[in-house]
Amino acid sequence: MTNFSPKSRSNLWRGPVYLSLLSLGALLFFIYQKLASGRYTPNFAAHEGVEFYDLLDSVGSDDGWQREERVLFCVPLRDAEAHLSMFFGHMRNLTYPHHLIDLAFLVSDSSDDTMGALKRNLQAVQTDKDSRLHFGEIEIFEKDFGQSIGQGFSDRHGFAAQGPRRKLMARARNWLWSVSVKPQHSWVYWRDIDVETVPPTVLEDLMHHGKDVIVPNVWRPLPDWLGNQQPYDLNSWQESDGGLALANTLDEDAVIVEGYVEYATWRPHLAYLRDPYGDPEVEMELDGIGGVSILARAAVFRSGSHFPAFSFEKHAETEAFGKMCKRMGFSVIGLPHYVIWHIYEPSSDDLKHMEWMAQEEVRQEEEKKSKELYAKVWGSGFEDAKDEWEKEKNKILRNADFADRKKIVVDWSGADDFPEQPPGKLAGFDPKA
Amino acid sequence: MVQLKSPLLRQIRRKPLTAIAPITLLVVLVFLFFRSSGSQKLRTYSYKSKKSGFFNHHRDVIPRNLPGDHISHYDLNKLASTPMAAYNKERVLILSPMSKFYNEYWQNILTLTYPRELIELGFIVPRTAEGDVALKKLEKAVKQVQTKDARFAKVTILRQDSESLASQKEKDRHALKVQKERRANMALARNSLLFTTLGPFTSWVLWLDSDIIETPHSLIEDLVSHDKPVISANCYQRYYDDEKKALSIRPYDFNNWVESDEGLKIAAGLEDDEIIVEGYAELATYRPLMAHFYDAKGDINTEMALDGVGGAAVLVKADVHRDGAMFPSFPFYHLIETEGFAKMVKRLGYEVFGLPNYLVFHFNE
Repeated sequence: MTNFSPKSRSNLWRGPVYLSLLSLGALLFFIYQKLASGRYTPNFAAHEGVEFYDLLDSVGSDDGWQREERVLFCVPLRDAEAHLSMFFGHMRNLTYPHHLIDLAFLVSDSSDDTMGALKRNLQAVQTDKDSRLHFGEIEIFEKDFGQSIGQGFSDRHGFAAQGPRRKLMARARNWLWSVSVKPQHSWVYWRDIDVETVPPTVLEDLMHHGKDVIVPNVWRPLPDWLGNQQPYDLNSWQESDGGLALANTLDEDAVIVEGYVEYATWRPHLAYLRDPYGDPEVEMELDGIGGVSILARAAVFRSGSHFPAFSFEKHAETEAFGKMCKRMGFSVIGLPHYVIWHIYEPSSDDLKHMEWMAQEEVRQEEEKKSKELYAKVWGSGFEDAKDEWEKEKNKILRNADFADRKKIVVDWSGADDFPEQPPGKLAGFDPKA
Repeated sequence: MVQLKSPLLRQIRRKPLTAIAPITLLVVLVFLFFRSSGSQKLRTYSYKSKKSGFFNHHRDVIPRNLPGDHISHYDLNKLASTPMAAYNKERVLILSPMSKFYNEYWQNILTLTYPRELIELGFIVPRTAEGDVALKKLEKAVKQVQTKDARFAKVTILRQDSESLASQKEKDRHALKVQKERRANMALARNSLLFTTLGPFTSWVLWLDSDIIETPHSLIEDLVSHDKPVISANCYQRYYDDEKKALSIRPYDFNNWVESDEGLKIAAGLEDDEIIVEGYAELATYRPLMAHFYDAKGDINTEMALDGVGGAAVLVKADVHRDGAMFPSFPFYHLIETEGFAKMVKRLGYEVFGLPNYLVFHFNE
């Protein structure tokens, strides 16, 4: 018969248990490695011109700035010289680590010195004493597409010009991202140059939602006489039955554009859902989006979603990009209460009105001056004699008062007695003579 | 002792607890007020690094070989795709999605006569054990070539981010049911490869499947000389004919086709998310297939206009891709992957051609 004490038993087993636990741990670690990052990674460090990338490293996370995730910042430019300094003001203020931001510019069909101004501004940032301001890789591309449409606000925003214009802009956008997206990019951010007010944390603000494609609300300030502010970007919307019904009536190459009475779609627009006191974190599902400020995972573009330069589901460019992303199963989100502000560019009607206002101001100024002058002339030329007359009238009337005068009696008898004239003879007058 | 004059203060001094209610009310009001106005205040974020935990492997994402101020300038107006490609020093990007590495494929690439310093290679391997095997073989092959003087301008190898279908066996691969999923995944692989390797120097993109093991050595020069936006070679396969007791050839890729009335009729009757694929009895489209137009005695330069292409050996002017032509991973006019690509090319206003008498050969499994 044996009589083990518990203690001696554990002593006996301790060695093998530890050993097996250790080997089990090693096995689990091995399996985890295999599952987590686990695939084979070749090493080409010694070979010039050979690169290996695991695309899983750049799928993008919602706290990318803490994980060294690179953002490709795409900016299409055309006749943008005037706005560049404002734009670079915003760029300097970006809080996302600058060395993780790669810039890609496309300069096309410009008649002003966009290229020169761009290079000057870039040089200024990249040679700044504060190295934290320096951006990562910067690529400037030049490509002219030829354009039949003028660049005035009303030329660009007129109804008839929209279809061809949007297709042309889509081509430009595709040329920009398709040559600049690289395997190491996790996010792609699109930004128009003419944004006036934007939080410096805009990248983090959009990224932390962790969506595939996300856009803020875009408004613009207005002069007082136009009501202070107005939604700017009407391309961010949710599809409606009205929109789908309209699409069915149009031919294959037609392009529906929002914000024009010609196409009444009754779609809910992101812009109109803004509440100035609303929670900026609120999200809204979208189908079409505008291009002023888009943050998208680079994987969205790598998967082939792009800005269709043809009519895709009756849309083109950014709106069709939204539609294509949805079609490919990506999330497309808008933030109704998170707003960035576009600059105010007056339309030709506005310009006419402003010209009229300017002329009116001059006219009123002149009118005021001439009124003063008239008042002076009238004042000195025509003295007021009323009071004086009141005084003098009494004196004159007093002189004309006969009440206390002595009555004079005159005897007029005999004054009408004339001597008899001989008859038939008129005194001293003969018409026949 | 100081006499407290205010009855309020006296009250608080006598019974301090009675002050709690009004103070709480005040705090709540202040809180509510500041919260509503504070919603427009800037968010604050932490910038502490979270990278490289114990299990995560280190990643090298810092761009190398940057100019001093990091600024480079490319004039894409000067970029051209001409029939005199080699003379004009135009860069050609050869792209191959690779789930298996065939040595014959690699040897064929090495015998291409187009100047190697003008060729860039791009590969994407699936996220599978099979992909690992292919990657190791490819790594070895690439390392051998890229140390020599006559090396390729650039080689980019990618690992696909999405999970691939596990099985790539011949039988499963062609079952109609798995076709859609398989080809959608293939489309994603092609797009991921294309849009990370296409650069500001690229004039031409040659899609060459990794199981194409034999082409004319002058493949690039030949296809380029036609000066077409998209041009596809005819893909055949060598096999041993048991009846004739001799080596023979047979058509392999049926995705190069001309649209038919029947095909359009079938498409009109399909749901939005359904696709048509060639080579299945269930979907008799009666489309004229380029594979059947091969004439052994015919002129090798004969061209025919196509509506659908296969991806076996297709040369594309890079501008077409830059305009947005990609491989739809979703049903695009009921077409997917390379066939959807051809449709998109046409929607963008370009034409698609095939060379029925110009053969490339597929591996025989």
